[in-house]
Amino acid sequence: MSVQVRNLQGNEACALGAIAAGCRFYAGYPITPSSEIAERMAEALPKVGGAFVQMEDEIASIAAVLGAEVGGTKAMTATSGPGFSLKQEVLGFAAAAEIPCVVVNVMRGGPSTGMPTRPSQGDMMQARWGTHGDHPVIALAPASVSEVYTQTARAFNLSERFRIPAVVLYDEVIGHLQETVDLRESATLELAERKWARGSPATHLPYAETDDGVPVMSRPGDGHRDHMTGLTHGEDGFPTQNPEAVTRAMDRLLGKLERDRDAIDAVDMLACEDADIVVVACGIVARAARRAVRDLRAEGLAAGLFRPITLWPFPEQAFARAAEAAKIVLVAEMNAGQLRLEVERLCPPGARVVGLGRIDGTPIAPAEIRAKVQELTQDA
Amino acid sequence: MLDGRPFDILDYLRRDLMPHFLCPGCGHGIALRALLWAVHETGIAKDRLAVISGIGCAGRLAAYIDANTFHVPHGRALPFATGLKIARPDLAVVVLTGDGDCLAIGGNHLIHACRRNLDLTCVMLNNEVYGMTGGQVSPTTGAGRLTTTTPQGNREPAFDACGLAEAAGAGLVGRELTLHPPTLKNVIKEGLAHPGFSFIEVMSDCTEIFGRKNEMGSSGEMILSQASAMRPTSYGSRGATAPFHPNAFPTGVLARNERPEYGAHLRAASASDDGHD
Amino acid sequence: MSDRPTNVLIVGVGGQGVILVSKVLTEVCQARGLAVKQSEVHGMAKRGGAVFSHVRFGREIWSPTIAQGEADVLLALEWAEGLRWLGHLSRAGTLIADTRRIVPLAACLDRSWGAQPAYPRRSPEDLLAGIANGFAIDATGIAMDLGNARVANTVVLGALSAVLGQPAEDWQPVLARNVPPKTVEVNHAAFARGRAWIESRPEPRPAASPPARQPVGATAPMNGVRLVITESWCKGCDICVKMCPERCLALNGAQVVELSDAGACTGCRVCEWLCPDFAITVDRGGQEPRA
Repeated sequence: MSVQVRNLQGNEACALGAIAAGCRFYAGYPITPSSEIAERMAEALPKVGGAFVQMEDEIASIAAVLGAEVGGTKAMTATSGPGFSLKQEVLGFAAAAEIPCVVVNVMRGGPSTGMPTRPSQGDMMQARWGTHGDHPVIALAPASVSEVYTQTARAFNLSERFRIPAVVLYDEVIGHLQETVDLRESATLELAERKWARGSPATHLPYAETDDGVPVMSRPGDGHRDHMTGLTHGEDGFPTQNPEAVTRAMDRLLGKLERDRDAIDAVDMLACEDADIVVVACGIVARAARRAVRDLRAEGLAAGLFRPITLWPFPEQAFARAAEAAKIVLVAEMNAGQLRLEVERLCPPGARVVGLGRIDGTPIAPAEIRAKVQELTQDA
Repeated sequence: MLDGRPFDILDYLRRDLMPHFLCPGCGHGIALRALLWAVHETGIAKDRLAVISGIGCAGRLAAYIDANTFHVPHGRALPFATGLKIARPDLAVVVLTGDGDCLAIGGNHLIHACRRNLDLTCVMLNNEVYGMTGGQVSPTTGAGRLTTTTPQGNREPAFDACGLAEAAGAGLVGRELTLHPPTLKNVIKEGLAHPGFSFIEVMSDCTEIFGRKNEMGSSGEMILSQASAMRPTSYGSRGATAPFHPNAFPTGVLARNERPEYGAHLRAASASDDGHD
Repeated sequence: MSDRPTNVLIVGVGGQGVILVSKVLTEVCQARGLAVKQSEVHGMAKRGGAVFSHVRFGREIWSPTIAQGEADVLLALEWAEGLRWLGHLSRAGTLIADTRRIVPLAACLDRSWGAQPAYPRRSPEDLLAGIANGFAIDATGIAMDLGNARVANTVVLGALSAVLGQPAEDWQPVLARNVPPKTVEVNHAAFARGRAWIESRPEPRPAASPPARQPVGATAPMNGVRLVITESWCKGCDICVKMCPERCLALNGAQVVELSDAGACTGCRVCEWLCPDFAITVDRGGQEPRA
């Protein structure tokens, strides 16, 4: 087997994807089932001139990542649900101060310590609303080992380009899955670089409006000597509570992703064009759903699969198209119905939204999805 | 040093933000001057200076410094600075923090920063109280003191921040009063010069909130009463003296620990691994 | 009292005692058997943060806040904050404002170096001309006259009690239990002075303009030493006054430091080093002592 085509574990692919995307700093804290990412980074980063630090806790890890990022180094941390909760306050700071960073959450059963070695998709909403206050976020949900590689790299690109925290969200099954990955894809990977301030420090405003809504960052040492704060700030970066200035700043912050959703949205669809029943699923559940949809089609049922790869912001337009003709939308997920809330919000009026959840630490099997669809179509 | 000019604090301030927001008589202003004076005499260019601060009265000071400044979440200045210093060894990274920020919500980060011994300078302004939130008890509030959350007097002993930092392995530990700013400046200079983690505790005064509640008089009186209680002994020879109390403390450079600096170790590991993949 | 609620808006900056004033007013109204609602914005205890409190009282109160143009009394412990809230005052409303200037953080809008703080330039005369009932009172001056600048809010409180036409006896016990025991006497005196100030004025009329502050004052060179005082940065904490070895500094009537005995100044720099507000620079004309 060529060096470029390798048998990799999901968490290993995550580390390699990050390094391919230019990640040169990792700070983390051990937590099942994500620890292999840290172990792999500890080994790999020094070889590419990067640095790995195991910090004293989850909060320190994300804070150190942001420190490295403002210094100009692409950085990442990885965790699981409990650690992701601990990081949330600092993630909010990253969103507000517009510091790029990548956080991987390998989801395990919860709440609390839950089932550390069992898979879940229980952090869908935590990824969206985990920190306090209104804030933008990007979350990507790979469904295979090779997608973990490409989506981790893509998380860096989006994070740098939009100056926003990017979360890579996958379940324990994907994290520990071994699959063959073709790393030659990395040769074609285009790396996005942050917009760095090059003009005169005298006229630079660190949070000024720009064509794409993403402000231009200065680098310590380049003469700008900017101020960065988690307090609500104006274009000059200094705190303000002036209602007009706050509204302007928040409108830009919350709206910047909307200016180029084509670059952010990513979905995978199977047979949705004429589907009466659309199954929505991501991560490992989407793989079961794919099999179920194929089987259902073979039985003559008009089923389709809608798989958001970009989970947040939810790809509304693609979903609206996929569900256009649907009578039933079945949301299959390893939680008690989190993604279903978003799907219910977006579903065309003609369709009924039904949830298929599983919270016992066991992945959803294709047969369960198939049986549920059969049951629903008989009802109808 | 700016072209060999004598120190003028205006060279280091974002003057358009002045006057600063501190209460009248707040010792934090005196400490800020001493820090900038030390930066000047050490010859650190403003472009190469990064100041990270957390939340609280001390946390707000970074904004007034004409340097690369970061006002980060409560308690997280040290780990943020850790990431920045590792990414950018060319910067002089100073953490400006308060007793609550550094010892309570950020306490875990402090002990590990001491242990790790990365080349950071942590200046902790100790005013014995959470001033920004209105005067609640802090980890360094003296026994018996009145605060809004200890209406019967504080029952918890105060942290000996320097003892903690020394025990945790900090490269350099110092403590100073605001009474004689040139001395304070010199101790901070020692910290800036030390190639490792240095921890400097500045005994500040909160006249408006803490002092008033405890009837400690004007700022001048508070500063003088600290001075009268100061024990300028060497830290290591403290021996069996009375337990730590904020009104009785040794000052000066209290401990040195010439251990390898963490960032150099990381860079060496990275260099020896280069090109092997 | 009519069914219409009475709306009192109290504004100032952190540390001035906005909350005390509204607390006393609230308790007085409660003691009179009225429904009261009070809502405030505070929390940043530091000097410079704007603080305001809405107090509404009457037979029945629903909304906790006062809409624009609905305040019967606007009580401003700080002049600039008073101006900012003027839009809340009703056409027939009464303004009571301390003319003493404090520059709140939010007023520093122009960040360019050398710019004057964006502090309102309108004189009390200009301002009061457009208001039905305006009282510009130098409450801080009165309080300093009583020996405690901190009771300026109580002076204004006394003025409020008179404007509301309520008997002093209803207010005094409430005031007494809301201030530190040691300061009851001076607070009562301040309350009485505020009340008397209103009562001695049958018609509201403007007070004299407060003296404009010089942004930077420099003393004449003495012994080759020049003290440069940035007056707008001085907060009157008295550290320099206490610590000056020659005792040559003093706070003036505006609570700003000045060189009171220029002949005694040796240029030792203790005041410069210890000024937490960086308001003093000692210019020794290049003759530097050892530090």
